[in-house]
Amino acid sequence: MRITRLAVEQLRQFRQPLVLDNLQPGLNLIAGPNESGKSTLVRAIRAAFFERHQTTAVKDLQPFDDSGAAPLVEIDFEHQGRHWQLRKRFLQRKRCDLSNGHEQFTGEAADDRLAELLGYQFPARGSSKPEHWGIPGLLWVEQGEGQQLHGAVGHASEHLQQALGSHLGSLASSAGDQLLPQLQAQLAELLTATGKPRGELQRCLEQLAQEQQQLQQLDQQIDEYREQVDLLARLSRQQQQEQHEQPWRRLRIEEARARERLQQVERLQQQQQTDQQRLEDCKARLALLLQQQQQQQRDQQQLLQQQQLVQRLAEDLQAVQQQVPIQQGLLESARSDWQNADALARSARLQGQREALQRELQQLQQQQQALGDRLQQAEALQQQIFALQQQLATESIEAPALQQLEQLQQQLREAEIRGAAIATRVQYRLLPGQQLQLDGEALSGEGELQLLQAARLSIEGVGELEISPGGEDLPRNAREQQQTRQRLQEALALLGVESLAQARQRHATGRDLQQELSGARRLLDNLAPQGLPALQSQLQQGQQQLDRLQQQIQALPAVAGQQLDPAQAETQLQRAADHLRLVELELNNRQQALQYLQRQRNDAEQALHSLQHQLQTEQGEQRRLAQQQQMQEQQQLLQQLQQSLQQRQLQIQAARPDILEQDIRRFASSASQLEQNWQDRREQLIRLQASLQGSAADGLEERRAELAASVDTLSRRQQQLQRRAAALGLLVELISAQRLRLTRELQAPLQRHLNHYLQLLFADAQLEVDEALMPTRLQRGREQAGFDSLSFGAREQMGLISRLAYADLLAEAGKPTLIILDDALVHSDSQRLEQMKRILFDAAQRHQILLFSCHPHNWQDMGVAPLDLPGLRAVASGAGES
Amino acid sequence: MPRFLHTADWQIGRQYSRFSAEDAPILAEARLLGIERIAALATELAVDAVLVAGDVFDAQTVSERTLRRLFNALSGYAGPWLLLPGNHDAALAESVWTRATRLGLLADNVHLLLQPGVTELPAAGLAILAAPLTQRHTHSDLTAWFDQAETTAGLLRIGLAHGSVQGILAEDLDSANPIAADRASRARLDYLALGDWHGYKCIDPRTWYSGTHEPERFRNNQAGWLLDVSIAAPGAVPAVEPRRIGRYDWQLWQVGLQVETDLEQLIERLQALPADTVLSLQLHGQIDLAAEQRLQQALNQVAARLRSLECEMDGLQLLPADSDLQALQVDGYLTPVVAELQRRQQQEQDGVAREALTLLAGLLRRQQEGA
Repeated sequence: MRITRLAVEQLRQFRQPLVLDNLQPGLNLIAGPNESGKSTLVRAIRAAFFERHQTTAVKDLQPFDDSGAAPLVEIDFEHQGRHWQLRKRFLQRKRCDLSNGHEQFTGEAADDRLAELLGYQFPARGSSKPEHWGIPGLLWVEQGEGQQLHGAVGHASEHLQQALGSHLGSLASSAGDQLLPQLQAQLAELLTATGKPRGELQRCLEQLAQEQQQLQQLDQQIDEYREQVDLLARLSRQQQQEQHEQPWRRLRIEEARARERLQQVERLQQQQQTDQQRLEDCKARLALLLQQQQQQQRDQQQLLQQQQLVQRLAEDLQAVQQQVPIQQGLLESARSDWQNADALARSARLQGQREALQRELQQLQQQQQALGDRLQQAEALQQQIFALQQQLATESIEAPALQQLEQLQQQLREAEIRGAAIATRVQYRLLPGQQLQLDGEALSGEGELQLLQAARLSIEGVGELEISPGGEDLPRNAREQQQTRQRLQEALALLGVESLAQARQRHATGRDLQQELSGARRLLDNLAPQGLPALQSQLQQGQQQLDRLQQQIQALPAVAGQQLDPAQAETQLQRAADHLRLVELELNNRQQALQYLQRQRNDAEQALHSLQHQLQTEQGEQRRLAQQQQMQEQQQLLQQLQQSLQQRQLQIQAARPDILEQDIRRFASSASQLEQNWQDRREQLIRLQASLQGSAADGLEERRAELAASVDTLSRRQQQLQRRAAALGLLVELISAQRLRLTRELQAPLQRHLNHYLQLLFADAQLEVDEALMPTRLQRGREQAGFDSLSFGAREQMGLISRLAYADLLAEAGKPTLIILDDALVHSDSQRLEQMKRILFDAAQRHQILLFSCHPHNWQDMGVAPLDLPGLRAVASGAGES
Repeated sequence: MPRFLHTADWQIGRQYSRFSAEDAPILAEARLLGIERIAALATELAVDAVLVAGDVFDAQTVSERTLRRLFNALSGYAGPWLLLPGNHDAALAESVWTRATRLGLLADNVHLLLQPGVTELPAAGLAILAAPLTQRHTHSDLTAWFDQAETTAGLLRIGLAHGSVQGILAEDLDSANPIAADRASRARLDYLALGDWHGYKCIDPRTWYSGTHEPERFRNNQAGWLLDVSIAAPGAVPAVEPRRIGRYDWQLWQVGLQVETDLEQLIERLQALPADTVLSLQLHGQIDLAAEQRLQQALNQVAARLRSLECEMDGLQLLPADSDLQALQVDGYLTPVVAELQRRQQQEQDGVAREALTLLAGLLRRQQEGA
């Protein structure tokens, strides 16, 4: 199908008629800026085909605020070798005419014929919607809808399938497509989408599990029942056997036997205890006897000792009595010794006193002598000091005065040197015998003079030479020398010396005197540290003391004869006194000892008497004999008892009473255990019989068999169902796979067309389509992408490629394939756009394409001149006016 | 001339797990009804006693109702019933027998032989040497004491025991409860009535297994009989006459299907079966879809008529013929699906592909019928 002419009038902005004629079979580029009416033209074409002419749902076709307008669309087109003219007016004076050279259709008939020709439908009522648009809906792409493919493909699906079917013929199974949903439905009754059991299979499995559990419980019950029966049999057997044997009886006998033996041993133990007690008694008695015997021995010994004591005391007494008179004689002699010594001592003491006084007197006299000497020496020194002090005061020159002299002398010399330096020097070498007078002083021979002031040189025979030294300082120097010299002279005079040397001499002499003076002073200090008067008074006091001592000596009485040394006399006196005291003490001691011994002897004699009285009686002897006999008897008894105890102990040990007690316990508890067992078992038997005779056993195994039957049935049923599910699954899988394979075969032509275009875009790409022929997946090399996940631009490109492929497919089936693109591929980058242009150009070789664009420069290389819409409008309005 | 019936292994209370809920109770009931027939036969033949050689009951814990029904069934014969405990109903400390006794179910003519010993029935001319099981299993020969047992002269010495005769029976039988093969001669028995083996079997002229009175297994081994024994006098050779007493005939068929006539023959055989048949049919080989449909129809018909029919077809492969495929209009992409299923069917163990084929065929058939 190809549109050759398009005219519109009173349609939106085209109030005036606009005509596009000479539309070409291939690509037609209709260009114009925004709002220039491109979309209006597209709308006009759509309205012309899709809207019934009577419809009122196309008010948007009228120009703005012109409700009286009657939008008109005229389309001339060729289809299947015929030339058709369509003239359709809406809203006002509604009309539709369709004609070719042979047929003419008007009104609804025209509408219907048109729909039939192009492969679309009209809505039953209301405005036309995409689902009615069929093939044109797929191939006519509105602005910005290029990527939207899903709906359009669906609505054209019938035509596309027809195109495929008529192309290849039907390979499809007549029954397969009906089978698949049935199989899937049946499978869904048994398994969920994820393969889990459901419905009857699930119920069957659940019931099976439940019944298997019940079966297990029943089996357990049966086992328990059988075990109980076995237990009953075993217990009954045991019970009968024990009833017969009564095994506890033997044990009871054993117990009694052991008890008897134990009692025997206990009797032995009692005897042993009694004998042990007797043994203890015997031992105690023996000990008592022994004690008594020992007491007697001790008494005898005491008597003997007492006798000896009395004896010894008597001897001692006698000795002391003899000593007393001797001691008294000693006392007398000691007393006379002491009196002698006392007289001697008194005389010696008097003599001693005199001698001491005389020694003191002598000493005092010597001291007085020494004091007198010192006083003389000191007085001489005092006089020497006075003399030295006088000499020093007259002759000595002090160091500062000498220093001043030295200084003046120095100043003078310095002034003279300075004078010589500035003085006029006169050197003279006179012939021998010749003389000169200088200021009256004769000069001869050789020499040198220094003139500090004007001098007059008179040469005899010659006259006088007045020499005046130059320079200002000379007179001052001369003055200075004069003054200094004068001061020096004054100072010398003051000191009373001729010269400086003499002054120095006097200074040295003064120093020597000073030293001599200080030496004399030190000597005086030594002799009379407190001064001379003190020394004189000391001497006076010594004289007074001397007088007093001489008076004392004269006062002492005279002593006749040779006198003892007082110290020796004292010592002898002391010794005599000590001896006297000792002798007195000794005597006193003897007298006391005598009294003590007498008392002791009396006591001892008394005790001796009492002891003798006590021991030497007849009864005591008899008792001793009796005790000895008793002792022998007890010792015998002791031996017997020990022997019998030992023997019996051996017997007891041999019998092992502890083990006997254990035996008794063992036999008794074993017996009662057996009895208890028997009793317990009897009760257990009763309980067991009661339990077994209860209804528990009733029909147990029958129930089990029934349940087992049910489990078998269920299990078979479950296997059948599972096999059925598996078979259904297998069928669905195989049929789906075969169907897919077949679909692929059927879609091969479309795939070929798709690949044809796709290869121009991507060398190694493949676009898969689903059963509804909708692109689903783009594969490029190893990469895969779902159609919906592609970018907007890519989707638009794939959408266009798909549409072109559908167009090829439809063209092969003889369907109309006009392609309208309103502002297509605006989202493509320039590289892709280049490829897409090649694709479009290629498609234009087989289909008419109306390409509306506001970017005509983008399409300059498509080999066609763009139809400039504003230009056309200008022409149209011009034509309208003319 | 003393005459008695020898029967065993009644196994009253037995339940059948492998059968449908519909068939199982009827087959269980048949065992009880069989006892009534035995009682009737004993009365009719006016025998001197009925000897039951063990396993009267299937379990110790049969329900009271079952217990009562069994003893009621015995009332059809007024002569002595000699009941011996077997391994299923051993004379334990607490057993089905103590329960029956407690319930007072034992008529005077019913003799429970719960202890090893001799029971003399002078009126019948019989001295019964009973070797009851008092445990579930023993590994010693309980009949050993027969050798020394004294019986009153003039009475027939009849041994009654339950177990396996050693060295005679197939080894897969329970080898517990052994019985010496020469017991009859060693113990000078006139007849040794045995139980435990479910088909009737002659060990020697004096030693017989009676088998169970009503079959309960698919072993084709002479089950459903009892023995009618007459012995002229002590020492005489017994005259033993097996009598059919069971109602249902249990059959196990293993049939291979290869060619079409195999199926025809099978269907004929099935149709010829009497109604009191319990059939287990195991099919193997291969079959096309049309034949399978025919087989199914035939089986449905026969199953409705027989007491019970179970059919095992796991060994049978479905091989759709071209005609099948045409008939079912298998075309388009279903053709490779069917081919794949056939291929898998030959390799599989679990029958899934076979099931899938059957399902597919069924669906297609229905679709076609709908169309």
